Amino acid sequence: ELVQFVLVKDQKKIPIRRADMLKNVIREYRGAYTEIVNRAGRTLQEVFGLQLVELDPKRHSYILVSKLPCAEGNHPCRAKEKEKMGLLTVILSFIFMKGNSVKDSALWEFLRRLRVHPGLKGSLPGLGGDVQKLVTEEFVRQKYLEITPIPLIDPPQFTYKWGARATKETSKRDILNFVAKVQGKRPKFWTSQYNEAMAPP
Amino acid sequence: ENREEMLNSKSNRLTETLEEANKLFDEVSRPREAALDAQFLVLASNLGKEKANELHSEMTAFDTATFAEDLLTFMGINRTEVEENDSEPGGFLPSDAWLKVGEEALKYLRRAPTFHYMLGSFKSDPPVAKQRIERQKRASRGEAKRAMPAQLKKMEESHQETTEKEVERILGILQTLFENDPDTPISFFDFVIDPNSFSRTVENVFHVSFLIRDGLAEIKVDDYVLPIIEPTKSSRGRKNDRGPGARNQVVISLTEKKWK
Repeated sequence: ELVQFVLVKDQKKIPIRRADMLKNVIREYRGAYTEIVNRAGRTLQEVFGLQLVELDPKRHSYILVSKLPCAEGNHPCRAKEKEKMGLLTVILSFIFMKGNSVKDSALWEFLRRLRVHPGLKGSLPGLGGDVQKLVTEEFVRQKYLEITPIPLIDPPQFTYKWGARATKETSKRDILNFVAKVQGKRPKFWTSQYNEAMAPP
Repeated sequence: ENREEMLNSKSNRLTETLEEANKLFDEVSRPREAALDAQFLVLASNLGKEKANELHSEMTAFDTATFAEDLLTFMGINRTEVEENDSEPGGFLPSDAWLKVGEEALKYLRRAPTFHYMLGSFKSDPPVAKQRIERQKRASRGEAKRAMPAQLKKMEESHQETTEKEVERILGILQTLFENDPDTPISFFDFVIDPNSFSRTVENVFHVSFLIRDGLAEIKVDDYVLPIIEPTKSSRGRKNDRGPGARNQVVISLTEKKWK
């Protein structure tokens, strides 16, 4: 039952809270919580190839990550989702290559070069509209990005970093490979980023 | 002369030399020496500039503009002549631009595929049934209950009708075959197997099983232990007396492999 609950909850890609699991599924078996979660995790791994990962040990939230290596070719994924993931990966790349943290002005200036304008419809046809909302709200809620305001600055400015989900679903190494592929260069071309990506976690 | 040593990023030689020159300058009194000093300064600053450049190339900086351009190329931008009043100078992006990026990006992400229920079955019949039931729902509630059993019955019947018709048809074929040549046994497999369709074969077996159940046909085993089928005497003759007969259950397994 917990397996089904987790699979459905994962649709929105918002981390699943322990409290919800307890309230909706486990209920009176609270005492066996750990054992139940472990077993569910094992089923998810063995049957679906998914890993239940605890994202935040303090707030007890979980996400589902694929255990299988990224396969070439057809991902069972709708167009809208593909476009969103494309945009996300580009943003993650920018952040990493620029030293793991960028100012919002820098990011949006970069996106403008890609013909992506906040608030202008049609930049990403599959999305139909608010790119700013997608980036600053949806991606943040899903823990792909972390946006923090810079203190004591007016008008307010923000710092963009990788979110906890991003660190679990991909890696600096993978993102560097993506950049290398796009630019037709070898990852070693960017020495300091390469060293950072290859360093043991 | 000690150029290489000075250029080495790890060495402070350049700084030390500058400091030495500084000290020396304090003691200068003649213009010639001042000119030398100036020359030295120029030399030192050039060296300094080179040193800075070398530092730069050791860690190639990531260039935003190039990355953006390369991305646009990856997306398949059509680069056109730059026109003055163009809203998008430099080219147009195709509509699947971000789709391309997304497909490549997915290779670098370990994202769990979103889970969705597969709705509906594969049978072709249900859609018809659904239409009828839906029409019922729109009718007034009071009548709904009474009318529904009638509708459902109709559907059931049509279901049965097709099966019955098929069964009768197959019986007809079997009888004709047998009449044409009563002495040659009809191989069961020859009778039911459709060389072009496995599913049709299964359907045939299904319909034949009704004939067996109703005692209209029987399956015997010939000398080679292969099943043969023939219409029973009662179906060949008159229709009364359809007793159950000897009831034997046989399980025949037929996988697609075997069928091939």
